[in-house]
Amino acid sequence: MSERSERGPARPSLVAPVADEGDHVSEPSDGRAGLPGQAAEASAGARGWRGALVARWRGIAVVALLAVAIYAPFELVPFRVFQFTMVLVYAVALIGLNLLVGHAGQISLGHGAFFAVGAYTTAIMFDRWDVPYPLTLPAAAALAFVLGWAFGLPAVRLHGLYLALVTLAIAIFLVPLLKRFESVTGGSMGLTLAKPAPPAWTGLAPDQWLYFLALAVTVVAVLLARNLLRSRVGRAMRAVRDNEAAAEVMGVRLAFYKTLAFAWSAMFAGAAGCVYTWVIGFVSPDSFAVTLSITLLAGLVVGGLGSPAGPLLGGLFVMFVPSLSQDVNEAAPGVVFGLLIIAVMYVAPTGLAGLAGRAARTIGRTLRRE
Amino acid sequence: MSERSEPAAGDAFLAVEDLHAGYGDARVLHGVSLRVGQGEICAILGPNGAGKTTLLRALSGMCRVRGSVRLDGTDLAGRSPDAVARRGVAHVPEGRGTFMPLTVEENLRLGAFARRGRGARQSVADDLDRVYGYFPVLRTRMRQVAGSLSGGEQQMLAIGRALMLRPRLLLLDEPSLGLAPLVTRELFGIVRTINAEEGTTVVVVEQNAHLALGVAQQAHVLETGRIVLSGSAERIQADEQVAQSYLGYRV
Repeated sequence: MSERSERGPARPSLVAPVADEGDHVSEPSDGRAGLPGQAAEASAGARGWRGALVARWRGIAVVALLAVAIYAPFELVPFRVFQFTMVLVYAVALIGLNLLVGHAGQISLGHGAFFAVGAYTTAIMFDRWDVPYPLTLPAAAALAFVLGWAFGLPAVRLHGLYLALVTLAIAIFLVPLLKRFESVTGGSMGLTLAKPAPPAWTGLAPDQWLYFLALAVTVVAVLLARNLLRSRVGRAMRAVRDNEAAAEVMGVRLAFYKTLAFAWSAMFAGAAGCVYTWVIGFVSPDSFAVTLSITLLAGLVVGGLGSPAGPLLGGLFVMFVPSLSQDVNEAAPGVVFGLLIIAVMYVAPTGLAGLAGRAARTIGRTLRRE
Repeated sequence: MSERSEPAAGDAFLAVEDLHAGYGDARVLHGVSLRVGQGEICAILGPNGAGKTTLLRALSGMCRVRGSVRLDGTDLAGRSPDAVARRGVAHVPEGRGTFMPLTVEENLRLGAFARRGRGARQSVADDLDRVYGYFPVLRTRMRQVAGSLSGGEQQMLAIGRALMLRPRLLLLDEPSLGLAPLVTRELFGIVRTINAEEGTTVVVVEQNAHLALGVAQQAHVLETGRIVLSGSAERIQADEQVAQSYLGYRV
């Protein structure tokens, strides 16, 4: 009688459990039995005080980062501004992927496809109907949400590698599909479009204007993802990731929340795709090949899965490391890129965000000892 | 929720008839029937592999069943676990099912997941207070990740989380597993308090027969998927000869 062996504790999964948000001040329990005591109260008091301090420092760090981000485009040459704009675009896509992989515990090797859906929706709206560009953002996001929902349905039944394979198929069939409907998508030649021009009252250069558009979308995406994760829906998603059976007996409908995670995540990718089209002014099927999906996932894992800073660090990685590898060795940038991924994962198994957190703690401890 | 209801007509709040359950081809339960009155604590005893955990899983919809499970007149058999949870059945699963990376409070809030609608926010806040009242140690750890709790604290969290549902029926799967005797005794004391104060009906599966019989009104001994002995807790405790032969140890 296998009373204990059913639904084994761990299904094979590609997605390792990750530390949430990495920022809870969570000292390991001191092994005291669960009896309430004064010692526990006292240590909780200290923890609350330290927690408040950490929260304040984080707040200061975020404000400082935002200030630098606003000031930077006035100091950098247009090409650099463009590069940082692309970092933000990738970061938005990675925020979505982080929701799915880091927080909902699913996997997607096809996120480039949702990115492409957003990009093409925007491009076609410009090309066919001359829609004002601010309107393309909600449309691209909404369409990606709906498609994410539809393609999330396999997630209800599949796990780990099997799900990875199905999502990979989405990325694979997209490119031929885009080439096929030439009249709408422009075929292999793609579509060339006008970029959004800065309104005269801002006095900004075009590259600066695009940068600020991307920055605004990024800020909104960060806030949206943050609120989503703190909501009832976010808790349900994370519960499903940690323990499906336990989540289910709490009353969480697994199928609904798994598809919802896909839909939300695709929505962010779609929004990122839309900004991509604004910034580049050109879409073609080959920009959205399978490698984009894989690069996105690699960028997120390198940046830090499940961490709030992960998507931004991942965006920097995705944007700068390939061109950096080109400088190191022109013959085989792929090799350098691959080796760098291996190196980062070896030094920082929890991604760059985990490494940064560890460094901050070490510095904090050293300072306190002084 | 906390007013003590009068014993229901027919004295069977939970009525299980001829329940068969299993996983794939492996049949585990072979026609289990039992009745639990409202506000009662019922202990399910038995050796390893008798089907105790499977019985609880069958009650909460986690495995396929044949037969009937009625809770206060509504049929639960064949419903999915989330649907059963929405009907007021809280299951504290074997191994506690803690959401390790989430904080203690997030774990507790998930317990109230099935409850929503008007005034839910306030009532969830009230229930958090109520649970912290039963388990003060959880209040001191509410912002900590649940994975950093000790085994006993995690079991308290699991029971507290189940209470957040305001359950009509509470299913406890081996609360003593892996815990020190002192902690186990405290836990059973709290279960009894909850039962007395809120009138929650409890079905508890337990290897530690002595403890379980101490809090239960009635008990059933399960062996290889069948109930082989039923009766009031005192009778089973007294009927040492029988109990010993079935349970393989002294009660």
